[in-house]
Amino acid sequence: MASLKEELLESYLIGGQERFYRLAYSYLRDREEALDAVQTAVCRCLERRDSLRDEAALGTWFTRILVNTCMDLLRQRRRVTFVPPEALDAGSYEDPLPEDGALADRVNGLPPEAQTVVKLRFYEDMTLREISEVTGWNLNTVKSRLYAGLKKLRVSLEGVTLE
Amino acid sequence: MNEFKKAREDYEATPIPQELEDRVRAGIRQGKANYRRRRWRKYAAGTAACLVVLAGALNLSPTVAAAAAEVPVLGGLFRVLTVRDFHGEEDGINYDISVPGVEAEGELAQRVNDVIQEKVNAHLAKAQQDWEDYKEAFFATGGTEEEWGERTMDVIVDYEVKSQTDARLSFVVTFGEGWVASMEETYCYNLDLAEDRDITLAELLGENWVEQCNEAVRAGIAASVDEEGFTFFFPPEEGGFATVDESTAFYIREDGVPVLVFPRYSIAAGAAGSPEFPVE
Repeated sequence: MASLKEELLESYLIGGQERFYRLAYSYLRDREEALDAVQTAVCRCLERRDSLRDEAALGTWFTRILVNTCMDLLRQRRRVTFVPPEALDAGSYEDPLPEDGALADRVNGLPPEAQTVVKLRFYEDMTLREISEVTGWNLNTVKSRLYAGLKKLRVSLEGVTLE
Repeated sequence: MNEFKKAREDYEATPIPQELEDRVRAGIRQGKANYRRRRWRKYAAGTAACLVVLAGALNLSPTVAAAAAEVPVLGGLFRVLTVRDFHGEEDGINYDISVPGVEAEGELAQRVNDVIQEKVNAHLAKAQQDWEDYKEAFFATGGTEEEWGERTMDVIVDYEVKSQTDARLSFVVTFGEGWVASMEETYCYNLDLAEDRDITLAELLGENWVEQCNEAVRAGIAASVDEEGFTFFFPPEEGGFATVDESTAFYIREDGVPVLVFPRYSIAAGAAGSPEFPVE
């Protein structure tokens, strides 16, 4: 029984590795750190497999572990990043403007919570309800974080399906 | 939403590193091992008290056990003991602590024990501080109590006896802290207990020890380059290996060969771990 679950997890993790890496990389923008994050999340997933009760929820459960790992790394980095004064420009005090490069880059400049909602919604095609399960935030929080994120991105809300 | 279409294409074009699959498989192996360890620990904690201070468990090496059994305390005789053994959880921190102590005549053993004890205390204090700081940052950036509850941190102190003869002892103490990323430090001790002093690379290898070691390291780095020219080791101009010196850590292998140990990240990317080079 336990080994069946082990096999299921293993084939899911091997099969989805490229998707996991892309998601991790989009948070961390660093090859080595993204690899570390994927490895850590994979390790945690097997370590804590007893907490996965419903196997149909594997996708949201693992995404949750991976996103938490990436957000933790970002938080930790925020705590220790040393930014030399000459690297700061006035622009970094302001929200990114539409002309500051591609939308993908601007998404990566959002606060981690808003980033998560935007990425899961538009890159991973999750519904808001699924995002709520992945993040553990309630549906209204997810919605407001998505609106806030999109507003910051100055993306037109026309044609965005939010459900 | 054409803007997002483009963003999504960029996202999907993220280049995938070649070693990804190896890393995923490594994570699977690690996770399986930790799962068994945890289960075992839960079981052990339920059946026995898990805090044992000053257990004095004898390191079960045949040489040492035999020597200890046959000869009463003589000059040069020594034992390596676990002087502190603690495995358990407290405030979200999993402790896995086995602190070694050297029992021998002479000042050296005492000095080594004191140094180790000091490092252990500093390590535990730092781990607790890191955990507190992290907790603060976690809540300050919008984490919830519920999310926090899922988090744990591993704090490890462990040791390994690499080799021992009648009067010579080589062992490595590892300090680890594992949460979002892992930190690991190792310290090597090579003791000549008959003469009550530390063993140096110079006395093991002779006067050309620096060149000999450098050659071994360079050969090891050269051998690590794969067919595509990739290696985890940094080039010398980017902070890679330059030369060994008196402070280079090493242990002595069972066959007497010294093995150089470099801290993680010091001369290679983190993925290479803590690189070791035998000097044969």
